[in-house]
Amino acid sequence: MKTETTVEKMLRWRLEQGGPEAPPAPRASRLLALSRPWWEVWPERTRQLCDRLGRIEMAYGHAMEKGGGARAGHPVPVLLLRGDQEIEAAARLLYFTARDGELRLRFTLELPPEVAEEPAATWEVTFVGESSTPLFIAVAALSVEREYRIEASLPPALAATWAGLKVTDRMPFRFILGPAPAKG
Amino acid sequence: MAPENSARLVWFWTFWHWSQESFRDGVLLRSPLQGVGSHWDEWFRHEASAADRAAIARVGATEAGQRQFIAWFFRHWAPDAAGAGSRPIARYVACQLAGLEPFNQWKPFARYRGTYGVTGVSAVVLAENSAGESADVRPVEAVVLPAERAISSAKVVAEGFEPDGAELSVVERACASLLAGRTFGSFLALWIACGRRPGPAWWRALVAAAWLAVGGMILCLWFGPDPGDQLVTACAGLLVAWGFLTLHAGAVVVREAWRAWQLGRALLAQFAQSQVRLHMNGGLFLQGASAGLAFCLNTLVALFRTLPVERRHRSWLWQRSLGELQRTAGSWAATGVLTSEGWVHPVVLDPKLRACLRQPGIERLITPRQHEARQREVNRLAADLAGRGEERAATFAPGLRLGFAATGRTLGVHPAGHLAQVMMKVGGLLDRRQLAMNFFAAVVSVVMLVALPDLLRILRPPEAPVVVSPSSASPYYLWVSLDTDQPKSFRVRFESEFWASRIADVRRYEGGDLVPRAEMHVQRLPAHLSRDEDDGVIWIERRRSFLTREFLPGERVGRYPLSYVIRLSHD
Repeated sequence: MKTETTVEKMLRWRLEQGGPEAPPAPRASRLLALSRPWWEVWPERTRQLCDRLGRIEMAYGHAMEKGGGARAGHPVPVLLLRGDQEIEAAARLLYFTARDGELRLRFTLELPPEVAEEPAATWEVTFVGESSTPLFIAVAALSVEREYRIEASLPPALAATWAGLKVTDRMPFRFILGPAPAKG
Repeated sequence: MAPENSARLVWFWTFWHWSQESFRDGVLLRSPLQGVGSHWDEWFRHEASAADRAAIARVGATEAGQRQFIAWFFRHWAPDAAGAGSRPIARYVACQLAGLEPFNQWKPFARYRGTYGVTGVSAVVLAENSAGESADVRPVEAVVLPAERAISSAKVVAEGFEPDGAELSVVERACASLLAGRTFGSFLALWIACGRRPGPAWWRALVAAAWLAVGGMILCLWFGPDPGDQLVTACAGLLVAWGFLTLHAGAVVVREAWRAWQLGRALLAQFAQSQVRLHMNGGLFLQGASAGLAFCLNTLVALFRTLPVERRHRSWLWQRSLGELQRTAGSWAATGVLTSEGWVHPVVLDPKLRACLRQPGIERLITPRQHEARQREVNRLAADLAGRGEERAATFAPGLRLGFAATGRTLGVHPAGHLAQVMMKVGGLLDRRQLAMNFFAAVVSVVMLVALPDLLRILRPPEAPVVVSPSSASPYYLWVSLDTDQPKSFRVRFESEFWASRIADVRRYEGGDLVPRAEMHVQRLPAHLSRDEDDGVIWIERRRSFLTREFLPGERVGRYPLSYVIRLSHD
């Protein structure tokens, strides 16, 4: 899909689609506000969530054994937003590659037993960096065996750093999972 | 398959090698086998080249092409990728791929969707608010994969359902205990006590008859007529027969125990290097651990299945239990909360019995030992259901409707309180006749052990003793001291025309010296024929006894004149 166009062309296209009944186009300032990520819209809430996410402890024990032993990777702390609830959980990364600025990632959610339920079809995933600042947003879609996959473009600053990461490494990010916005 | 056909399928090798390389490079967390479905999804979406996609499309365009792929997959790819015993692994991979693009559109993959194609012991897991429907009997499949540095160290993992807490960890420990731990010891002890023995029926009948014959011989010797000259032959026959039977019984037990232990260790080693994946459709979140017993049995059967056939047959005991369960798994269901030590704890049983009665595929149910698990109760429940003319569709196989009506449906219930008992029951090893025979043989053996000194005295009599000092100082008391360390083997008989004849046993007297003797109080005959006070002969006779039975006197092994004996030193 071609992503670069002019605002004028967009407005003309919209008018063609909607005809005379089309409501007036939103103002540019409104469009800009809508395009802002949620952490810029609600900075206080963001700070609270990031603080809480940062407090989730993941204890790693290094029980070395001959022959490599189990290959568990490092769980990624997750704060799952469901209605008014904030649930602390973990994600286990199953696949991770960050080539050519494109992130492809698969993970499973390890939820506490009391919230085990049918997995949601999609989640909006906010990647939060080690300094408790949101990095970018991606949508995770349910895939085979209750796992989620993410395909997203990485901000240039992260692309180079993350390119060398392995799925077994300790990840420099945490997740905030919220309901994905409805399409359309 | 012709080489040109193999070349058409090279894309699958491309995927497989990508999966292996990615795992090695740390891009994939799970091994190629353990994450095969997810890996294919990723490869097909993003990594497959246009040429690969075109080749896949060509193969999938016709059903013949799809069938060729399946044939190649099982005959060529699986042995190359998974080595010997690859068939269950190939089925697992086929099951994982069957639901993914493009295989979900391929008809030949339909038989692998949602199933590994292996039969397992069903678990009875009730749906919410269910009073026991046929759908509550849920087939469980288990397949063993190489562990290959798995994500977790768990040896048993769930697929298609969420187990309750640490249920699978308990299953893992219970399996290990049965293969080479305390539960194995219980299994062995139970089998020794009341388990059917290997060998053809005629041989077992012959052995049982021989034990009965030994028992009969003991009774004859103990209470029957005196065998006279045949005593030695009878005793020898009894000892040989009992010795042979004891050795035979011991050899059978030791041989089977050793082989079972060896195979158990091999299975445990296999378990340590593997991951058993338990598959149950329905995506259930299990509440409670009543499926633990079914999971454990399926895990054991899956491990047993990985061994080559000739190796499985090395242990009659495992072949008889796990092999039999593997063969008939489809007709078994199991319910019970299992502990690490192998105990099977009670569950809510009534709706589960109903569910099994409504499921025509199930003929036998293993339950914990509890009040409702009695065959009479189950028969009553079956009659109750049949009396209502109930007809329900079974959901055992997709598209197959089986009716359960008033057909006198029977469900065999096998209550067991411990995993060792479960093994006995699934293998049909419990044998009441063997239990009775073992009890009889034990009693016979105890009697034989008690009677063994008597038998040995009869068969290997001690050397004839000589009469030694001391003799009695009193003329009316006769002491016959014998130089022997087996006084019970001899008796002294005194015959005289002046004195009354006497018989006395030889024994050791307290307070005396160590020489055993026979003491006799002698009296003059009122009308004695002889005037000689020294008239008389002392005979030393062999004494023959069997338990409380005293046989007729045996051989006379010594003759001493009275005059000689009374003149021996008194000290």
